[in-house]
Amino acid sequence: MESLKLKKITALWIVTVITLFIVAIVLGLLMRLNQAEVISEEPLTFYSNMTTHGLMMIGIWFVAGMVAVNYLLQRYVNTSYAVSVFAFVFTVIGVVMLWVSTFIGKFSTGWTFLYPLPFKDIGASSWATPLFLLSLTVLGVGWLVWSVAMMAQIFRKYSLSQAFAWQHLFKKNPTVETPPFILITTITLVGVIASLIAAVIVIILYFAEYFSIGGFVNDALLMKNLIYFFGHTIANEMLYLGVAVIYEIFAEASGRPKWKTTWYVSLAWNTALIFILTAFFHHLYMDFVQPQGLQIVGQLASYLASLPSAAVTVFSIIVAVYKVKTNWSIVNLLFFLGVAGWVIGGMGAIIDATISNNIVLHNTLWVPAHFHTYNVMGNVLFSFAFFYWFSTQNINKLIMSNLTRVTLAVLIIGGIGFLMAFYIGGANSIPRRYSVYPAGLASAPYLAKIGFTFAILYLAAILVFFFNISKRCFAILSTPSSPA
Amino acid sequence: MFRYIVYTFFAGLSLLTGLSSLSKSQTEPIDLSEEQGIYTKIYNAPLRVYGESKINRINQLYQQRPLLLAFVYTRCTGICNPFLLQLKETLELTHSENNFQVLVVSFDSYDDTSTMHQAAIRFGLNNNPQWTFGVTDRIDSLNKSVQFAPAWDSIRSQFDHEALIVGINNQGYITKKLLGIRDIHDIKLMISSINNEFIPSYRLPGKNNLLSCFNYDPKTGKNTMAIGFFIIALPATITLIIILTIVLFTSKRKTL
Amino acid sequence: MEHHSMLLLFIILAVFLAIVFVTVFVSSIKVSDENHGLKNTLRKRFWFSLVLTIVLGILTAVTLPKSPYFIFAKETPSKVIHVAALQFSFFMTEKEIDPKQPVGESIVIPLNQVVEFRVTSFDVNHGFAIYGPDMKLITQTQAMPGYVNSLRHKFTVPGEYRVLCLEFCGMGHQGMQTTFKVN
Repeated sequence: MESLKLKKITALWIVTVITLFIVAIVLGLLMRLNQAEVISEEPLTFYSNMTTHGLMMIGIWFVAGMVAVNYLLQRYVNTSYAVSVFAFVFTVIGVVMLWVSTFIGKFSTGWTFLYPLPFKDIGASSWATPLFLLSLTVLGVGWLVWSVAMMAQIFRKYSLSQAFAWQHLFKKNPTVETPPFILITTITLVGVIASLIAAVIVIILYFAEYFSIGGFVNDALLMKNLIYFFGHTIANEMLYLGVAVIYEIFAEASGRPKWKTTWYVSLAWNTALIFILTAFFHHLYMDFVQPQGLQIVGQLASYLASLPSAAVTVFSIIVAVYKVKTNWSIVNLLFFLGVAGWVIGGMGAIIDATISNNIVLHNTLWVPAHFHTYNVMGNVLFSFAFFYWFSTQNINKLIMSNLTRVTLAVLIIGGIGFLMAFYIGGANSIPRRYSVYPAGLASAPYLAKIGFTFAILYLAAILVFFFNISKRCFAILSTPSSPA
Repeated sequence: MFRYIVYTFFAGLSLLTGLSSLSKSQTEPIDLSEEQGIYTKIYNAPLRVYGESKINRINQLYQQRPLLLAFVYTRCTGICNPFLLQLKETLELTHSENNFQVLVVSFDSYDDTSTMHQAAIRFGLNNNPQWTFGVTDRIDSLNKSVQFAPAWDSIRSQFDHEALIVGINNQGYITKKLLGIRDIHDIKLMISSINNEFIPSYRLPGKNNLLSCFNYDPKTGKNTMAIGFFIIALPATITLIIILTIVLFTSKRKTL
Repeated sequence: MEHHSMLLLFIILAVFLAIVFVTVFVSSIKVSDENHGLKNTLRKRFWFSLVLTIVLGILTAVTLPKSPYFIFAKETPSKVIHVAALQFSFFMTEKEIDPKQPVGESIVIPLNQVVEFRVTSFDVNHGFAIYGPDMKLITQTQAMPGYVNSLRHKFTVPGEYRVLCLEFCGMGHQGMQTTFKVN
């Protein structure tokens, strides 16, 4: 059972995550305003904000997924409170170090810190680059310890084959049942650990070159492969952390029987792991130096990753809801909406993951269009669903008020408008990561203005959620520790 | 105990940050001389070959089969001999006989057909139909068409020059150049290029080849793995090791 | 695929999926207490997976041959243009580029002939992205230090073309461009 200590640390995480989310949204708003030519920032400021925005968003929604999984994992195994605190401390310190390197030091390579840009004159202070790399080290250490600890706790109770639910492939009613939540968490943690280790290797190679003073030079292609393996995989896995939560509490929140692992659930998730770990090659389509076999693997893996998601998870959600009397509350509604957003984002992704399309979409606004869809209308909603479920602690109290309905509507409208500005921008070949747009791309500032306006609506909805959720989280935090 | 670990970690980090101010990274110089003259036509120089009265122009060779043109001279006490020896051995390793031939030309007016013939005998290539050793009376024009500029050093009585192979396709267009003694991967790319196969990309000679990912073999269409590939596979491998280690060390409860 | 076709396809798919999800949602509210949910879900799952696999297979077979590494591979280009990217400009020339003294020249490309761009970088990753006279992105490749990427294209529309840097390369990234003519 979840102890009060675990509840408190979870509540603290949640409040921290949403606060940082609001800060990161503001940075994003400033970016769109600059691109709309409403404000005029120095390019250096724009790009350092862009770096902060990107790394914060990835970090926040990754830890949000980990927090939710950690909390629910306690239902099955003993999770470590100390490790959660450790991860929290290291995350906060890492974020502060990031802020110092970007806001003060003007480190501005984008969150992907692609080699060899951090080593060139980027207008930053000389200490900003090592500080940025160190902030990643701090974050990486915290998160790696956390994921390995969770993995260890799972393997304390479940054997290797049980954690991967292999027994379900061969037996219809095996003696030991693996809950879907455990299966998905195990699969996802494998990807998380692999991506964090890739980050560790990248940072080691960076520091090796940095301290070698000319003796050791990295290969740009190898670094690109490693950086995109880390970046793509961690972003993909943070979505699946949210999906693990869905499998655990969607049915519960809807008043339905719990979902069980079947042979096709086990098959889908085990094969998904292979696609997840190889899809990252789709970031290198325009690097013709990559072996062509790997380019083809990238397209195939990206396509095939949709199969287990659609045929198992999405199908299960639809089956659970279609013509089935469901107790709709903010919790399962947010999950449901998030799944819709995830699937729609997937359409944009499949189009971009096709090499012959990528040649005219790569590094245009289409790219942020699809990954913002996955987050803004997908993963973020999964996490907020969990935040509501957790903070309320009682499903019956989640009857939606009119304010909540209106907030949800504003969220959806704001999200759609914000995203469409990106999709149309991508179709108009507007480049991404530009502080201002060149003459000749007349629609660009106009679309940025539209994106900004709808993002304000989205932010307003988030603020309402923030108020509701934090109120309850603070109540949990101030619950006296000694038993009554 | 936990506290002290954290304190030590952050002390280490601060030390690292401090030390990092002493270091800097270096810029890698780039060499683009191999990019000169691509898809320009080679000068159709007159040729003289020992014992061969029929071959008297370069185009007679490349129209028959695509050509690798190597520049040497027999008085050379420097790179020419190891260069030719390596080229011979590398070409043997490619196991391809039908899609290229080699013309070794001297850029030294001291050389004539007999000195070149002697050189061919020394390398055991005088009876090899794939190799032709010759001289030309218009070496300056030939050099100019490939941007080759050997400089005569009268003190040492030697030419200062680069080891150069020029790849020529069957229409006489220069498709690739290689400077220096090159390995089998680059030679194979050269052979592909003179056979008009499209190579979407290639590496420039430089220092950062230490951790490259793959060496592509255009003949078999396969990749031979270089150390960089193993580094890309490292995260997944280490993850697997972590999982197996955890499984090994955690005790499983019998009843669940 | 052409730009606006892709956008249209996306919008159609997005609207269709939105309708599916709304229908599913509404059905769960209108239903009575008895469970009228889907039956034989395993069979439906199987057919859904099969259809999806076939669609993806067709897409793969149709689109892969159109990848930039394969198109124009069999043709000999009539011209080679050497490109070297630098923070924050492009050097384009028909002759070789001397890294110590890079000099660009104005480029004119022949119409309806395959040309080859050999693209590299002197410093960081850049993007070599060609925009047509209508400012639509036509083709691109990466400019990576230590490597030369060959991009072949046949220009069929005369006019002034722009090259934009499409890989974030530092504080001058948004201003890094050059032009060439096709006639």
